[in-house]
Amino acid sequence: MSTHNVPETFSIPVGPLHVALEEPMYFKIDVKGETVSHIDINAGHAHRGIEYLTTKRTMYQNVVLTERICSLCSNSHPQTFAMAAEKIAGIEVPERGIYLRTVADEMKRVTSHLFNVALLVHLVGYETYFMHMMQVREIGQDMLESIFGNRQDIGAMCIGGVRYDLDDKSIAYIKGALDKIEAETKDIIKTFKTNGSILRRTKGVGVLTHADAITCGVVGPVARASGIDYDVRREAPYAAYDRLPLVVHSLTDGDVWSRAMVRLEEILTSIDLLRVCLRDLPGGPVNINDRPDIPPGQAVTRSEAPRGEVIYYLRTNDTPQPERVKWRVPTFMNWDSLRFMLQDAKVADVAMIVNSIDPCLSCTER
Amino acid sequence: MSNQIAILLAVLLFPGGVFALAFGLAMKGVDRRVAARLQSRVGPPLLQPFFDIIKLGFKRTMVPAAANETVFLYTPLVGVVSMLIAAALVPITSVYAPDAAIGNLLVLLYLLMIPGIVLMIAGSASGSPYGAIGFSREMALMIAYEGPLVLIAAAVAIRTGMGMGGWATFSLNDIVAYQQAHGSFLFDPVMWPAVAAFCFFYPANLGIVPFDIPEAETEVLEGPLLEYSGPVLALFKIMSALKKVVVLSLGIVLFFPAAPANLAAGFLVWLIKMAVLMLVGITAVRLSMGRMRIDQAFVFFLKWPLLLAVASLAVVVVV
Repeated sequence: MSTHNVPETFSIPVGPLHVALEEPMYFKIDVKGETVSHIDINAGHAHRGIEYLTTKRTMYQNVVLTERICSLCSNSHPQTFAMAAEKIAGIEVPERGIYLRTVADEMKRVTSHLFNVALLVHLVGYETYFMHMMQVREIGQDMLESIFGNRQDIGAMCIGGVRYDLDDKSIAYIKGALDKIEAETKDIIKTFKTNGSILRRTKGVGVLTHADAITCGVVGPVARASGIDYDVRREAPYAAYDRLPLVVHSLTDGDVWSRAMVRLEEILTSIDLLRVCLRDLPGGPVNINDRPDIPPGQAVTRSEAPRGEVIYYLRTNDTPQPERVKWRVPTFMNWDSLRFMLQDAKVADVAMIVNSIDPCLSCTER
Repeated sequence: MSNQIAILLAVLLFPGGVFALAFGLAMKGVDRRVAARLQSRVGPPLLQPFFDIIKLGFKRTMVPAAANETVFLYTPLVGVVSMLIAAALVPITSVYAPDAAIGNLLVLLYLLMIPGIVLMIAGSASGSPYGAIGFSREMALMIAYEGPLVLIAAAVAIRTGMGMGGWATFSLNDIVAYQQAHGSFLFDPVMWPAVAAFCFFYPANLGIVPFDIPEAETEVLEGPLLEYSGPVLALFKIMSALKKVVVLSLGIVLFFPAAPANLAAGFLVWLIKMAVLMLVGITAVRLSMGRMRIDQAFVFFLKWPLLLAVASLAVVVVV
């Protein structure tokens, strides 16, 4: 008989490059059989030094740069940055510009949420439904491309308003596309509530309790799925949200299914908000049509990106370049909650749980 | 002597060897194309599986530093050889009857276990933690599905044996001949539990969704196959193509071998059955659901397929 010491646990690397992860992150997972016993989260693979770069560019160039921080919330970053600059300079965005900002924001939210939930279905192994959901998202992507000329970095924002305008023809087109997405999304919600394949793998998986959620300070759909009724669009309205019938969806289970469901319900709300925006769209200019110097000062602004609360801090001085730009992204807050969600999870569910916080590494590690 | 040559030809040419490989790869090509069309994609060329094998043949095989080289490189050969022999064991009604010396259901059951074992050994020999997880999953899944398979085989053997006035016969030729004379088991209510249990068994054995757990790409990166590349990976692909033909063909033999006595017509009927079985039983199934977790699959197999298999055996013995 050999007296070999067989270790009870062994560690498997998930990442930095892993088919189930969209972006470079690294989890060192100790497993006991199929159950996770310890997890080590390691970040820092995608640092690009963007915060430093912002201080080398003028305020107006930075609107373009901040859009490139992240592809899926590529509208929230320049918007929050522009809001900070407007706060310092005391710029009033024209009424039409305010509404069009909301329109761009909600369009991006619809496609971003559809993308995340589609990926969840892909990780469940249900390829056909993944393809179907990506096709539904493609209606939204076509809409973005038709209106803004681009699928991801839509370049809608500028300091003092927006850079695009809608005419009757494009409004009619958007309304038609929204009708299609709404019908499909309702169908997807029904599937998520009834399909055995999806329920089996997502219900009760990766639970984040209400108490743990508060401890970690999670934001966005992750918080709302754990029973924290918090949405920046309602708590601190920006753009046109104080005039819109916003419904904040929250669930209490805090599992992967709830997070997906919150996102799906939010798509429907976004579509409603878009319809109201397009109906009430006031006339007038879309931006201030001027590039005033931003005076020295500092400001903090926040907005609700698809993943949760984005906070921007901006300090300007006498030069055209900002002195310091700092942002706190939702993934940074949701990241730590993975420790709680992955505790005692099955190896099979790791990728799915990580996906359920909708991680955005390019924002977090910029 | 002529006996041995006939067996050798059956293993290397038809219905095993060249024919089974080409047929298995062609089925995979059709499967991928149909799946793509059902998902509104264009899909790969029909011959893509052949191209893949040829391409892999020209590539280099990388052996990981942590791997046991001999085991890592040679286990897939065992799997391919076992499947070549298995393909020569399965009769095709009016076209091919295996030599009585080898055409035995019990031998086939043992041969069918080998690819799973090969995957387990290959996975653990690769030294990759994903291979290790694949190993444990494959083992759990085998424990889950082998039990029902043995019971299904026993039910068929006993039904045939009792019908022929004995106790049980494991000769595949007898099983085909009995059904040719007395009607296929598919239309025999006594055998329906066994048919149902077989419907659960083969997706697990062939590793298709919802039971592709050991090789789940989004979870364990293809598990045992993760470290494989080049010609050795091609051997795994050949093994799984052969296995697909063997398992589906076995399903036909066990439950629906009925075919005209004419050689050409018999072959055509077999081809049609295989095509229908593949489209309905593989493509449609794997497209219409997601993957199970290994613990869920294990519990599932201990419940339904095992229950059905036990029921089928009991019904066959009693009736």
